[in-house]
Amino acid sequence: MTPQCHRPGAVFDPKDLRRHILRMAFHGQSVHVACAFSLVEICSVLYSQFLRFDPMNAVSPDRDFLILSKGHGVMALYACFREIGWLTDSDLDAYFRNGTHLRGLCEADVPGCEVTSGSLGHGLPIATGIAFGLRRLGIDRRVYCIVGDGEMNEGPMWESLLFAAHQKLANLTVIVDANRYQAMGRTEEVLGLEPLPAKFEAFGFATKECDGHDPKALARCLSDLLANGSRPGALVARTTKGHGVSFMEDDNRWHYTRLTEHDYSRALKELS
Amino acid sequence: MRDMLSQLLVEAAAADDRFIVLSGDHGYALFDGLRAGYGSQFVNVGVAEQNMIGVAAGLAKVGFRPCVYGLAAFVPIRVLEQIKLDLCHAKAPVILLGDGAGLVYSTLGVSHQCGEDVACLRPLPAIAIYSPCDKFELQACWAEARRADHPSYIRIGKADRPTVHDAAIADTEPQWTNRRDAHNHERLIVAAGSMTSISTAIARTHGVPCLSVPRIKPLPPSLMAAVQSHRQTIVVEEHARAGGLFSALAEELASAESLSGRPHLAHLGLSGQFTSTAGSHEHALSEHGLDDAAVNRSLTAWITARPGQMS
Ligand SMILES: Cc1ncc(C[n+]2csc(CCOP(=O)(O)OP(=O)(O)O)c2C)c(N)n1
Repeated sequence: MTPQCHRPGAVFDPKDLRRHILRMAFHGQSVHVACAFSLVEICSVLYSQFLRFDPMNAVSPDRDFLILSKGHGVMALYACFREIGWLTDSDLDAYFRNGTHLRGLCEADVPGCEVTSGSLGHGLPIATGIAFGLRRLGIDRRVYCIVGDGEMNEGPMWESLLFAAHQKLANLTVIVDANRYQAMGRTEEVLGLEPLPAKFEAFGFATKECDGHDPKALARCLSDLLANGSRPGALVARTTKGHGVSFMEDDNRWHYTRLTEHDYSRALKELS
Repeated sequence: MRDMLSQLLVEAAAADDRFIVLSGDHGYALFDGLRAGYGSQFVNVGVAEQNMIGVAAGLAKVGFRPCVYGLAAFVPIRVLEQIKLDLCHAKAPVILLGDGAGLVYSTLGVSHQCGEDVACLRPLPAIAIYSPCDKFELQACWAEARRADHPSYIRIGKADRPTVHDAAIADTEPQWTNRRDAHNHERLIVAAGSMTSISTAIARTHGVPCLSVPRIKPLPPSLMAAVQSHRQTIVVEEHARAGGLFSALAEELASAESLSGRPHLAHLGLSGQFTSTAGSHEHALSEHGLDDAAVNRSLTAWITARPGQMS
């Protein structure tokens, strides 16, 4: 399935997306840089090869849904919106300025963001409801939901997995940004989650696992999951928090650290 | 205020090995001291707030004194039912810390802002609610919550506002922040939490008395007395009007006798306590004075009362 409509020139190059993210994070002095970096390739592949959307209208009635359940990764979405044209450079530069609309977490009133998911454990249940509703309506629109591995601590996530599998929501694909970190430490140290693919399988999901920064592998797994007949799909994307800038990679301080001018230019240099 | 909170956690851990802090995977530097000195008394339970409250209730049941930390948007909002049943109904001596209450997380958006926490908790039986304005009030609220044999909620708002009080305070009763130099006793400013320092400063400018209210539930009788001895009162709080301190006072005032000797607005409803016995709906209502016979008695008395006869 390829996007039906696409902005000419929007390539969703991960380097460009990361530069947009840095630009916002620096101008807005926001946190969560590493949280956004780890899902850049996932978003890039989804927008360039899977999601059907209208570049002229972020809420077109026949679009596919991308639900970012780990809402604190929202800068990765904003970066894609900038590529599509739903946001401009000046929106990025004005990040967090008084009276502007882009918040530090995903909020439903921003066209393209779909849901309010800054509180973890909300996005997947909503995505599941959308998939259930679309199926009941007999409408061929797909739902992709990106969740954090730390977010999988939340009870409602597992309640939705049960529901999605029980209802055989084959129009739903869950993608775990499995970067092995959450807010205060390693996911395995805070609350062990593995073997995650086996858990999805046991819950009734068609499950794949790949390098979450390898666009080809991501695309292949997502296609395979779509080809799967009657079960919802889960892709455990093995990622690195902060991927793309050497001094941020796998360093959880970049969950909550703000960019200095020095770090900003160092990071940009790596992405040019 | 944050340094004080850190210090209180460390002191409690040192003094009491049954004291244990649970966090839902946030808090960072707040717990540095605790983790360094008393690492085993800190547990990051993961991003799983509902489970966290249940775990705290279980720990309390076997003798621990848990303190549960979360952003106010999550503790208490996300876990309200767990608080009602696991903590309040069980009268579990658990301290809930709701951080970043109000609009502290302005840039993070609605999911992290919280102007309804006090409103959600006030109707629940057994829980005390505090909204300290500075480190001294926090200290007093904390001490009272630590002694309590029931759950407590401490609302932590914007923590870097100027300190209001000069020194430690003895208890959680309403505190005058500007009376010595106040000359206008027509009007009274009542402030809670983050709004107290600015309210006090403005009160000083105009010579108006200002009362800070660290404990919102149970509502201190002396607060009502102060309100009734002024002609006009304004309540300033970083909380929605419905259910906050204003609402608590308005409810008390409505119940108190008005000039005519009868309250303008009276209430006949549930008692604010859990129903304690089984039986029919009518029986359950009777525990609250709402069975048909009781409603008949109360309404008849209300309808036929002469001014001054009934409150
Ligand atoms: C309900 C809720 N509790 C706590 C938080 C605070 N918080 C923000 S991000 C985060 C860690 C999430 O971990 P993960 O999903 O793995 O995200 P990543 O490490 O990829 O950024 C936490 C606990 C929140 N946003 N929502």
